[in-house]
Amino acid sequence: MSLQTLKVLEAFLEEPTEQLSGADVQKRSGLASGTLYPILLRLESAGWFTSRWEAIDPVSAGRPRRRLYRLTSSGLARASEVFASFGRGVLA
Amino acid sequence: MSKYAERETITPASGERPCTWLDRTAQQLIRHAARHAPQALSERLEEEWLADLAARAGALARLRLAIGCRWAAQVIAHEQGASALAGAAAGGHKVMSTYLQFGSTPGPRRGVVFILIAGLHVVLICGFAAGLSHSMVTSIPPTIIGRFLPEAPPPPLPPPLPRVTLVTPRPIDFVPPEVLLPPTGENTITLPSHAPPAATPPAVPTPVTRVPGGPGKGFPNTDDFYPPSAIRLGESGIAAVNVCVADNGALSADPTIAQSSGSARLDAGALKLARAGSGHYRATTENGRPVRSCYTFRVNFRLRD
Repeated sequence: MSLQTLKVLEAFLEEPTEQLSGADVQKRSGLASGTLYPILLRLESAGWFTSRWEAIDPVSAGRPRRRLYRLTSSGLARASEVFASFGRGVLA
Repeated sequence: MSKYAERETITPASGERPCTWLDRTAQQLIRHAARHAPQALSERLEEEWLADLAARAGALARLRLAIGCRWAAQVIAHEQGASALAGAAAGGHKVMSTYLQFGSTPGPRRGVVFILIAGLHVVLICGFAAGLSHSMVTSIPPTIIGRFLPEAPPPPLPPPLPRVTLVTPRPIDFVPPEVLLPPTGENTITLPSHAPPAATPPAVPTPVTRVPGGPGKGFPNTDDFYPPSAIRLGESGIAAVNVCVADNGALSADPTIAQSSGSARLDAGALKLARAGSGHYRATTENGRPVRSCYTFRVNFRLRD
């Protein structure tokens, strides 16, 4: 598992039940968008994340809907397992 | 294409004024990137990225995000293609198995990065080489032609000093002045009429028994006045001290050094000892009677093992 993937997971582990958009994750992890979005898709395809559209009407809100990601229960368990084996100091 | 993505300009969520041409470029880049993403993800990624673009503050940051999305679309397309191949080979199970390789980097991306790095090295090396050769050409000095200069004539010698002749002074003939005395008539001296003193017999000297004095009972110990600095320096020697002692054994004058030991520190110690011994001197006696006298005694400062 790459360091960038670990950073994405760490951004979610700050508040595991929180739903984050790509912009939020980018803010927390500091990763470039070219790196971040492929990782999000990989983790979603592997079942670590689930995603859904933000529940707003884009026209009335005046902006596009955000795609919100959230850790699945299995993703949370596996991410915790990964960090337990690596130690959180890895990302310091 | 999503219904919102069809809008021409997206207003940043931070409320700042959009930088028209930069934001338009960023949105075009994202739409272009989404078109290069896999068909199934194209619409989703476009709306998602446009939403994230609107959430980003700063026109340059938005442009950077868009450029990154262009790169992300290429990576996602590559991974989708690879996973499709893997899925076909595995009979359709785990279609996205490639995504499980979280740390994997796509081949073309790695190749592009390698080519970029190699190109950068080539450019740097060429730049350095060109810069160095240029500086070498300009740093070559012009031809130096040596020429011997005629030797400067020596400075003229100073004029010879005038010859000096030593003249021996002539001895001066001293003529004593002539003293004129008033005339006295007769060259006689008149003595006053005194009766001649009666002749006394010469006194017979009586023998005097003189016993010279010196440090007496209770006189301080020399070692107590050995200067510590002299001990550290390993100095030793004998100082002769001249003291004047009254008949009661006390000093009647300040003692002085009659002969130095060769060390100012030892001499000072000897004087201190002599002053401290006041009252403990043995007075010189004449015929058994103590008298005031001055004498010299020696103080021996000797280092002990």
